[in-house]
Amino acid sequence: MESHLDYHAHNNGFREVNTTFKVLFAVSTLIICVASPSPIIPLFVFILIPTLLIFKAKIPYKFYFKFISIPLLFALITFLYMGLFFGSTDIMVQLGSLGPLDLVIYRDGVQIGFLVFSRMLGAFSCLVFLAFTTPMTELFSIFHRVHIPPIIVELSMLMYRFIFLFLDEAEKMHQSQKTRLGYSDWKNSLRCLGMLGGNLFIRTWFQGEKLHMAMESRGYNGTLKAMNEIEFPGSKNIILLVSFELLLLAGIYLSLNFPVI
Amino acid sequence: MHIMEGFLPWQWCLFWYLVAIPVVVYGVIQIKKITDKNPESKPLLAVSGAFMFVLSSLKLPSVTGSCSHPTGNGLGAILFGPAVVSVLATITLVFQALLLAHGGITTLGANIFSMGIVGPFCAWLIYKGCKNMGISISIAVFLAATFGDLLTYVTTAIQLSLAFPIPTFSESLIKFMIIFAYTQLPLALAEGLLTVVIFDYIKKLRPDILTQLGVMLKTKAPDVVGGK
Repeated sequence: MESHLDYHAHNNGFREVNTTFKVLFAVSTLIICVASPSPIIPLFVFILIPTLLIFKAKIPYKFYFKFISIPLLFALITFLYMGLFFGSTDIMVQLGSLGPLDLVIYRDGVQIGFLVFSRMLGAFSCLVFLAFTTPMTELFSIFHRVHIPPIIVELSMLMYRFIFLFLDEAEKMHQSQKTRLGYSDWKNSLRCLGMLGGNLFIRTWFQGEKLHMAMESRGYNGTLKAMNEIEFPGSKNIILLVSFELLLLAGIYLSLNFPVI
Repeated sequence: MHIMEGFLPWQWCLFWYLVAIPVVVYGVIQIKKITDKNPESKPLLAVSGAFMFVLSSLKLPSVTGSCSHPTGNGLGAILFGPAVVSVLATITLVFQALLLAHGGITTLGANIFSMGIVGPFCAWLIYKGCKNMGISISIAVFLAATFGDLLTYVTTAIQLSLAFPIPTFSESLIKFMIIFAYTQLPLALAEGLLTVVIFDYIKKLRPDILTQLGVMLKTKAPDVVGGK
């Protein structure tokens, strides 16, 4: 799944759009969603971003919905949970009890649950936008730009390089364990997974040693040099961005007292 | 247990960032010292970080039937020491947020605090304590990983109930704790067992790696070989 995401990050309709612009768009929209006191604007973002991704960036809609299904489910559970257990006034429904907990749905619990639910939807849409349109390698140059210590950027770059290799390796080991009757019951699964983890660690260690040798033989002296040129987004984009965010803020102001539930 | 993007109100996002940053900065300084002293440790730290990411993406067989994934923080803390793990966990959390929409950028501070700081530090302290008391290494690893996990969940529960003290902080905390006790306790035990299996496997096959780690990180990682 991750490798697919990486593929889309490199091949989408927004690939050529300025990286700083995309990051600024995602982050500022994200902050507005999280700080929004009303659920309308985050829900609007939740609809706007897939529209952009599917119709403009040409991300296959199946892939998009598969990707968001897990966070979506989680957000839904949170909503139900907050609706069931939170709140103190104005009882909507009395459902009985579960152990020491009373199952009562309060109006204010549902309201705050729905607000948090909408914020989560809006906020993770922004993250997904960034994940689908911007390759990680370009984000690293942004990290560099915002003065994250070079050692951290370097570690992240190396880690990123290895994550996909190790995921592959783990998958292969998992398959071969399964063909040899691994994971047959709970105890066996635990043993197999332990072996997989242990073996993975040993192999990763080898890889690290090899990497060091490879880097050293190519003149590595403690720092990785990479082209980190970031272009200014251009005044047209900046105006577009600022006016969009201002529109969102105006939307929040207008929908402040809009009754949802 | 990641707190999802958008879950925390912005005041709490800011607060947890402010709490987490000094510890991560301390970790960065430690890593810088280690890599300055021996440059070959940098690629090794990187692959270790990647290992932690991959470990956390494996499915953990859980007793309750629901599948979840290990955090890998207990193992990381035992192998590399808590300061280094706090940095590796931070990078891992950023990747999880950006690649899997798991966790988030605004909740990053809170997640770093629970999963990258409290969990590993507790695991490390328990491991050290057990070793000093002369308890066998397997039990020490088990206790460290299990309680590291549990305390991560407790921290998350506290963070959530601080953010949503409805009707009061303590009532909210009790509710979160009950939910977590049902879902996370079996996971913590499973992760504890898993960590023991992994640790024993590495110790049996390549004890030299563990020695090398102890040398590389000096006092930062406990001397794992030659214990009981």
